[in-house]
Amino acid sequence: MAQTAQAPVAPPPRADERLGRKSPVARMLARPEAGAIAGAIVIYIFFFIIAPPFRNASSFSSVLYVTSTYGLMATPVALLMIGGEFDLSAGVAVTSSALTASLFMYEFTTVAWVGVLVALAVSLFIGFLNGWIVIKTGIPSFLVTLGTFFMLQGLNIALTQTITNQVSSPDISTLQGFSSSRVVFSGSFTVGGVNIRTSVLYWIVFVIIATWILLRTHIGNWIFAVGGHAPSARAVGVPVGRMKIGLFMAVGFMAWFTGMHTLFLFNTIQAGQGIGNEFVYIIAAVVGGCLLTGGYGSAVGAGIGALIFGMVNQGIVYAGWNPDWFQFFVGLLLLGAILLNTYIRRRAEAAI
Amino acid sequence: MRRSRSRAIGIALFMIISLVLAACSATGGKRAADAAANGGGGVVAGHANTKHFTVAMITHAAAGDTFWDIIRHGAIAAAAKDNITLKYSSSDDPTKQAQLITDAINSHVDGLAVTDPNPGALCPTIQKAKQAGIPVVMFNAGYTNWQTCGGMEYFGQDEMIAGVAAGKRLAAAGKKNVLCVLQAQGQAQLEARCAGVKQGLGSEGTMSKLYVNGTDSSAVLSSMTADLTRAKSTDAVITLGAQFALIAIQAISQTHSTAKLYTFDTSAAEIAKIKSGAVQWAVDQQPYLQGYLSVDSLWLYLVNGDTIGGGQTVLTGPSFVDSTNVAQVGKFAAAGNR
Amino acid sequence: MSTPQDTPPMGRHHAPESPTAAGPRAGNGTGTALVRLINAGKRYGAVIALQDITMEVSAGEVTCVLGDNGAGKSTLIKIIAGLHQPSSGVYEVDGEPVSFNSPREALDHGIATVYQDLAVVPLMPVWRNFFLGNEIKKGPRIDIPAMKTMCKDELLAMGIDLRDVDQPIGTLSGGERQCVAISRAVHFGAKVLILDEPTAALGVKQSGVVLKYIIQARERGLGVVFITHNPHHAYPVGDRFLLLNRGTSIGYFEKSQITRDELTGLMAGGAELEQLSHELEGAGGAAAEIGAVLGEEVAELGIADRPAPAAAPATESDAR
Repeated sequence: MAQTAQAPVAPPPRADERLGRKSPVARMLARPEAGAIAGAIVIYIFFFIIAPPFRNASSFSSVLYVTSTYGLMATPVALLMIGGEFDLSAGVAVTSSALTASLFMYEFTTVAWVGVLVALAVSLFIGFLNGWIVIKTGIPSFLVTLGTFFMLQGLNIALTQTITNQVSSPDISTLQGFSSSRVVFSGSFTVGGVNIRTSVLYWIVFVIIATWILLRTHIGNWIFAVGGHAPSARAVGVPVGRMKIGLFMAVGFMAWFTGMHTLFLFNTIQAGQGIGNEFVYIIAAVVGGCLLTGGYGSAVGAGIGALIFGMVNQGIVYAGWNPDWFQFFVGLLLLGAILLNTYIRRRAEAAI
Repeated sequence: MRRSRSRAIGIALFMIISLVLAACSATGGKRAADAAANGGGGVVAGHANTKHFTVAMITHAAAGDTFWDIIRHGAIAAAAKDNITLKYSSSDDPTKQAQLITDAINSHVDGLAVTDPNPGALCPTIQKAKQAGIPVVMFNAGYTNWQTCGGMEYFGQDEMIAGVAAGKRLAAAGKKNVLCVLQAQGQAQLEARCAGVKQGLGSEGTMSKLYVNGTDSSAVLSSMTADLTRAKSTDAVITLGAQFALIAIQAISQTHSTAKLYTFDTSAAEIAKIKSGAVQWAVDQQPYLQGYLSVDSLWLYLVNGDTIGGGQTVLTGPSFVDSTNVAQVGKFAAAGNR
Repeated sequence: MSTPQDTPPMGRHHAPESPTAAGPRAGNGTGTALVRLINAGKRYGAVIALQDITMEVSAGEVTCVLGDNGAGKSTLIKIIAGLHQPSSGVYEVDGEPVSFNSPREALDHGIATVYQDLAVVPLMPVWRNFFLGNEIKKGPRIDIPAMKTMCKDELLAMGIDLRDVDQPIGTLSGGERQCVAISRAVHFGAKVLILDEPTAALGVKQSGVVLKYIIQARERGLGVVFITHNPHHAYPVGDRFLLLNRGTSIGYFEKSQITRDELTGLMAGGAELEQLSHELEGAGGAAAEIGAVLGEEVAELGIADRPAPAAAPATESDAR
């Protein structure tokens, strides 16, 4: 996908020598996430009006929670997309990581943290493998990770079945180190009577880190470059292969983190979980302004995209709409958010 | 940056190795489970000296569902006893399931055990098996039309009847606002359960439905949390699968809801929650029995021409697992058979 | 347009070996050539992409490489840029034989290539493109204000006045983009610039702008290898001219040895007729006869050297 980066979104039309018109507002609107922010505000107001439970703080905390479970993964997925690649195995990789941790710590009766570290190694390895195959073979990552998606899905079930003779991992809550792991990965705290999960904080922190890397470090510069036009990046000495492998490993890392969160929140993991979430991550990144063709986007945008998804998911339940129509409304609202996003971005580009 | 990462991996590996050597958990885990099990594991029922047969079991199970594990355990136990090679496969996509059945017919298996959640799509294929002279036993799903599809016997529960029984029991407990949580949309079985609950409640109470994304625990938790926040008057939550009951426990405690929790189907972890009182009761359709009987009845037919049920449905449920019988059921659940 | 001496080279990343105005002006042949190929050739398996090419470029000189599509220009670039190694002949930098394994090594020797795609990332701001791969760091961060200022200054020094270095480089005109790429190469210490068809996709006016920067680069003491198929672009800026056809040299001239018309004739007629005669000869029979006649005529007209093995070295010694 990287090779055609020159064509896709026509860069804003030229308007020579007309400096003065570019206000700070126009500047902000030109950011990739501008459209998503507008979409998020509209959807927030929409549910604020029609769904009374949506208005109280604890409900919004629950919206933020579901957002964080998608947003944690959407962040590295967005970086990867900016870097010009997809990872369709991201959803099941979360489950793979959680299964690895729980099966290891249970079968060997280790302290919980040992399983956690083993899972980290495995997750990074899966990310490395995805990236390595993509780089070595030159096959589009869409296809490579589609392969690993099915493989991981199969491994999740087959290995769990082989090891435990069931399709869910055993309960690990009685192991030593479980409670400390739970505090770290799946804790919660109360502020002003509102219970907030730590995953929300982690998510915000990771978005800030990712944004900082993207905009303030040379690594970020290189991520944009390898996704925007890999041959150019290579020509100026950017290690394209290593960058991409690194990005796949970042997805692996976050799959581990999200997997640990899920594991320590629910104590057991169903082997068939996580399928379909890869698209939620990609949708969040795209709604947030990432180009499917790479080279453009933002981590904040992906976060906002996840927030839109979270608000729609929870808002529909809060509003108490006929549940038979749930999926339809999810799709409708997402499409609306994307349309608004596109409209705003076009306007912003025309205004530059 | 690569170097520092590989160094980090190195450190992580070192820590893992040293931890493995030094810090095993003193509590829980497999060691504790093994110590507790003292030999009560898999069911072995001897071994028949009859001719060897091959039986294909093809279900509509989604990958990785605990419930279907139990069915499979039952089927495996029967196959081991009956000198039968069991070929198990499944797909929650009717087209693929039909293809799997066709494959089994083409490979001339001696008997076929299938579920039929989607009569329109699967009936023609199942009939082909009958035409090919392969005896077909149906179970779990297909209650309404197994005879017309060419099934010889049927083992299962009527989801509607099970739902009604659950609804009646909820009504008897004085529940007014029942939330029925469906983990997938558009599955006839699940819809029938909720419809049954509604019918069973009758005029005593109302039932509302909530669809959740069954493949994402976090999403299930969040959706339930949202619904319990919206409808504060909910006084009973009934989930349609054991693992969702476990998540519902968290949702109820998070929202400080006073709702009681009920569920369809069982698993070891969930039975422990019935013991602890977090789950009131579970509607049990005895999946182990369904798997076991399906295979065993094929064996009886193949070696002796026997059929069970006299052309009528053989009901394996509903029964209830609650505080009165949980101790007894719990013994078997640990082995993954209930 | 500011004079190059006003702005000392600021490449702090590759300490440049002073490619300033010290170099000899115009192709007078004194001093060591910065880059020289002697009888260089390249085969890809059985395919001969390039053979017996001899050329050089010295500081403050522009060597133009002319040829039609498929003449072997891009193979030549790839050899000089370090992407490929010649399969025969010698490649010298500063009089020393070299063998580059990567463009990075060529770059370390001060040989920078500006490809047709310019090695810019269209969606990225101008300044990010300018410093891509050579970011100025301040601790773990990059020094954004410094890079923006430096980029703006450096472009100004080349006579490009951008209203905003924050705009995506894709929004610049083709000529401006070329210039950014050229000034980037200069900034990061290039001694030799290889420009791959910089005017190919440009209109008349834009081409003029680019040619102006080629002259600027020359005046700053850089050696320039200017690849083009347009003799009208090559002649005004070039000091030497290498003509390629089907992978071989069909002429290597100093400016004093050739007029613009001759150059044009060679490019337009010579190559084409040459090729035609080849084809006819290959066809055999009567066609071959016509081909041979045609070939002679071409030779008589003096617009092309037959690709006899001896021809190329001869022209080379002429050129010195």
